[in-house]
Amino acid sequence: MPTSTNTAFTKQNRQSAAHVAVDYLQSVLGDRLLCKQQTVDSIPTLWFSRESIIQALTILRNESFAGARFEMLLDLTAIDERARINRQEQPESDFTVVYHLMSFSGNADLRLKVPLHDSDLRTPTTCDLWPNANWYEREVWDMFGIRFDGHPNLYRLVLPPTWKGHALRKEHPARATEMEPFALNDEQTDVEQEALKFKPEEWGMKRASDDSEFMFLNLGPNHPSVHGAFRIAVQLDGEILVDAVPDIGYHHRGAEKMGERQSWHTFIPYTDRIDYLGGVMNNLPYVMAVEKMAGIEVPERVKVIRVMLSEMFRICSHLLFYGTFAQDVGQLSPIFYMFVERERIFNIIESICGARMHPGWFRIGGVAQDLPKGWDTRIRELLEFMPPRLDEYDSMVMNNGILKRRTQGVGAYTTQEAFDWGVTGAGLRATGLEWDMRKQRPYSGYENFEFDVPIAANGDCYDRCAVRVEEMRQSLRIIKQCVDNMPSGDYKSSHPLTTPPRKENTMQDIETLINHFLNVSWGPVIPPNEVSMSIEATKGINSYYLISDGSTTSYRTRIRTPSFAHLQMIPAISRGFMVSDLIAIIASIDFVMADVDR
Amino acid sequence: MNWSLEAADQAKAPQRGNDDLDKLVRQNVMMVTLEDMIAWGRKNSLWPFNFGLSCCYVEMATAITSRHDVARFGSEVIRGTPRQADMIIIAGTVFRKMAPVVKQLYDQLLEPKWVISMGSCANSGGMYDIYSVVQGVDKFLPVDVYVSGCPPRPEALLQGLMLLQESIGKQRRPLSWVINEQGIIQREENDVQRVIRGPERIAATELRSPDEV
Repeated sequence: MPTSTNTAFTKQNRQSAAHVAVDYLQSVLGDRLLCKQQTVDSIPTLWFSRESIIQALTILRNESFAGARFEMLLDLTAIDERARINRQEQPESDFTVVYHLMSFSGNADLRLKVPLHDSDLRTPTTCDLWPNANWYEREVWDMFGIRFDGHPNLYRLVLPPTWKGHALRKEHPARATEMEPFALNDEQTDVEQEALKFKPEEWGMKRASDDSEFMFLNLGPNHPSVHGAFRIAVQLDGEILVDAVPDIGYHHRGAEKMGERQSWHTFIPYTDRIDYLGGVMNNLPYVMAVEKMAGIEVPERVKVIRVMLSEMFRICSHLLFYGTFAQDVGQLSPIFYMFVERERIFNIIESICGARMHPGWFRIGGVAQDLPKGWDTRIRELLEFMPPRLDEYDSMVMNNGILKRRTQGVGAYTTQEAFDWGVTGAGLRATGLEWDMRKQRPYSGYENFEFDVPIAANGDCYDRCAVRVEEMRQSLRIIKQCVDNMPSGDYKSSHPLTTPPRKENTMQDIETLINHFLNVSWGPVIPPNEVSMSIEATKGINSYYLISDGSTTSYRTRIRTPSFAHLQMIPAISRGFMVSDLIAIIASIDFVMADVDR
Repeated sequence: MNWSLEAADQAKAPQRGNDDLDKLVRQNVMMVTLEDMIAWGRKNSLWPFNFGLSCCYVEMATAITSRHDVARFGSEVIRGTPRQADMIIIAGTVFRKMAPVVKQLYDQLLEPKWVISMGSCANSGGMYDIYSVVQGVDKFLPVDVYVSGCPPRPEALLQGLMLLQESIGKQRRPLSWVINEQGIIQREENDVQRVIRGPERIAATELRSPDEV
């Protein structure tokens, strides 16, 4: 596995690409720039009207700034601003569309916003600039009812086609118990099923070519190889895949709406269930984002505990991927071996956190408890036990001739294509780009650890798997460093917004007691601001974009998940292959439906 | 049914004039009513449908793999189609968009069929009282066993499976088509585990401290 030396971008460099871009935009479109907004995450945020947004985005997409380009549309979402109180110096807006661009060459971020008014909710599409804008725009239409002019197929993406209303609008009910009780009679089942029927014409698909009639195959939403409630409709010419339409939304748990209802603290368990294989690693971007808004610095010990547990979950998630990947291309036994390690890791996690899959153990300003006595014994055993097993899996899976022939050269894409589709994580590194958030933008103390970023060259199914296998070894390295160098100290910050607050600070006088009571019963009040925090999650870049309006709950919680982007790419990389290759491609992506639909 | 086993290397050949013959008969011949035997067979060969919705499915898969090994309970034959399965485990959150699909899959299971609702979401919506989630799969399916947890441990699923097996073992069904009354003797209503195990749990005086592994 080739690992080149890290070409670290300094923080200065990172700001410079963004600042050059901002200066350039100001000089070219100065009169049309509505506002420059300040946010606590220091990502430059520019407001443009919908008439000039395409021009601004085109410049950012095509021009070079201090040698860097903004290659990726990391996220596209919207905010319902109608109930927001703290909007100092921002242009008037009922609904705001937000574009989050990311530059890999310059390691920089840029946020662009477009204000829209209730009476006329439309803005031009950006599908021509970034193909991955397609789903993001459909999602915004589905959730907010904002139209994107020129979009090729602006249908609902997440909610059922029969849904009434737009769920992330403030007037839409959040609770199922606020709505009409759910009932499902035969007649209604038929209506819903009819609505879900795949109609090729809607997608511009022909039923026949000049010399053959196409077959349409429906895979899912319950199919053994699609890893959850995911559906893909496939257009076939004989056995050759002509086109495919992924259909998602069968796993939409309304996590973003939930964020507007739960307090900052009580939302933590919901983050666990976003990428449900990533466990506490999901807590990390969320609590770090809140900490940034609150101005909390966490102790070193907290950082190392968080890194250690996150890396354990990375191994867990990769093992599940590894096993199911082998299973999907025909090897039934590896998964039975790999679950042995998973059980060992779950034993450790359980001994520390008290739960297996969803401990929800990180807190705003710390972790839930200190490490128990003797916490390191089982981890050291794992560090001994696992490396030879990984070598064994190499000979069992990675060197297996059938697996190689089924996955090498299948579903390959280039780094540029990965940028176009918003692919991050192992899928991006498999194309040869050495990009890992933990190295490029170290968070939670990753800069103190020695580890390599594995990459591969071909960007095919086999390489995506190979990168993850190597990542498990690197995670073990990181865990070893955590165990050997666990700092002493507190498991919680002493900041007043730390939740739950420190007990010893409460018993002083009536004032501290009241504060403690409010912080525990209502939760902390986070000062109004906007923040975006990204981490290298198990499947790619997971990012939380939080808006606080100065209350005990979030005003808007946007969760940018890697799997959402990755699924959208399936048709582009599977055309011309056979159905059996499609299964290998789906397996190699490593997605979780909760990470797609949220 | 009354039967016993003994280790193969210790088994003796039957001798004339003592009760060995009795034993031999007992080992090889089973006197049973056909109804009882079918109930016994049903109980010990529950084939689950390969169906999963979310997080719980991962723990269900864990129950199938090596450490927990659901094969010990005769339930490892995962079927890819509902038409070959006896049981569906609703492992995960039931979404509004998914509900008609779940309904159709359930309808395709052949009688007799059973439903295990696994995890808080399938039981009641759990922590997801949200617009896109059905508040419990029992809003449109009859559930036989509820397994609590978020997600339940694999052991909890196995316990749920054993409870279901126990109740299936008590069910009696007609052996061919009957007109009018189906003659199905349903299991009696069980108390929830909270009631059955409550006193024992409350009686616990020493709880392990979380400070130690």
